[in-house]
Amino acid sequence: MDVFNFLGRTREAKLKLEQHRQRLYRIAYSWTHNAALADDLVQETLAKALKKSGQLRDPNAGDAWLYSILANCYHDHFRRLRTAEEIDENTLTHESTPEKESSEQEIVLKVRAAIARLAEGQRQVVTLVDIQGLSYMEVAQILNVPIGTVMSRLCRARYALKDLLGELAPKLAAEETKIRRIK
Amino acid sequence: MNKEQQFSEEFINAFVDDELTPDEKAQAYARLGDDVLLNRQVCELRKVRDLVSLAYRHVPAPACSTSAIAVGHKCSTAIAAGLALVVGGLGGWFLNQASHVPDNAVVAQVAPAAEDPAKVLFHVSEGNPEHLKTVLDEVENLMKFYRQTQQKARVEVITNGGGLSLLMAGISPYAERIQRMQKEYNDLTFVACQNTIERIQQELGLQAKLLPGVVVIDSGVAQIMRRQNQGWAYIQV
Repeated sequence: MDVFNFLGRTREAKLKLEQHRQRLYRIAYSWTHNAALADDLVQETLAKALKKSGQLRDPNAGDAWLYSILANCYHDHFRRLRTAEEIDENTLTHESTPEKESSEQEIVLKVRAAIARLAEGQRQVVTLVDIQGLSYMEVAQILNVPIGTVMSRLCRARYALKDLLGELAPKLAAEETKIRRIK
Repeated sequence: MNKEQQFSEEFINAFVDDELTPDEKAQAYARLGDDVLLNRQVCELRKVRDLVSLAYRHVPAPACSTSAIAVGHKCSTAIAAGLALVVGGLGGWFLNQASHVPDNAVVAQVAPAAEDPAKVLFHVSEGNPEHLKTVLDEVENLMKFYRQTQQKARVEVITNGGGLSLLMAGISPYAERIQRMQKEYNDLTFVACQNTIERIQQELGLQAKLLPGVVVIDSGVAQIMRRQNQGWAYIQV
């Protein structure tokens, strides 16, 4: 066996995987809303991916493959904890932070809180499509569900978000009256 | 799908996500021309999609960001193992000297990966033209510095009292320069105090017209306090 060639390939695979870290972390964070847990899940995903990198035949399928490993890690994690904690029952608490004062940050927190209230399957689909810009087909492969399920989950998720965020609209509009841009 | 049929909600979502075939897309566009309700639905779905995307553009970095792939992924474990390795590998006389080495190593490891932008506010309350020139010079120098060092920064110039003249159309001696700076630096905002505008109107009977792109806030002082609470650096010029 050509040891140098093997080591070179491993290093190359490692570098490629590192490039995906930030994107994986963003999705993991949108699923968990917990920075430490998201980081752990990404680390676990990359470690597994590195271990199995030899199994990946089509290099173009790398993105979808990594997200499917992440989805499995996420499910495994909550399967272990399911008796103790149900993630969908968690609500995001808005601790008083300086950023909360800023209206843009406030909207961001409200959207995240609304996403945290979605059912797990809906949350995964809407984040993969809207944040990562993946196609319905890719999301179906990642989550191992039919494309029709992706479409219906996405549809329910978006209408639920519209309702959840719509409740906030009057308050936001009232606050906007204080600040306006003059052209 | 004929014209009388309603599009399903899944179909409309697929249109928003550009997942339709060219024929289906043509049908949707044909209907959008005269269907107000459909237009509104598409608009609302796009808004939701944009909000979701916006909400995770900047996610908080983990407390201890892992920068390399390792099998053991708990930071505390990794740091403890690293320290133990250093302490075990060195020893004797070197143990005394080594106290700085692992400390530095740990600091480097736990440093946040994603840098927060620098946030600076300039407070301008005097309207002397020379003074206003100094303000603009300082702001521009700072923006150039951040650009050269490739640092992210948000800068706000808050004007109240006499300083409002900097941003008043027809009065400001530096209107063109301000417009150029606004175009050149996206993260630079000029802010005017509504209380001062009202006071000018009451006391002098003048309707204050502001330069394009100037943001009006309720109170300059309140905005300064809000920004300071948010961790902005305060500079009075």
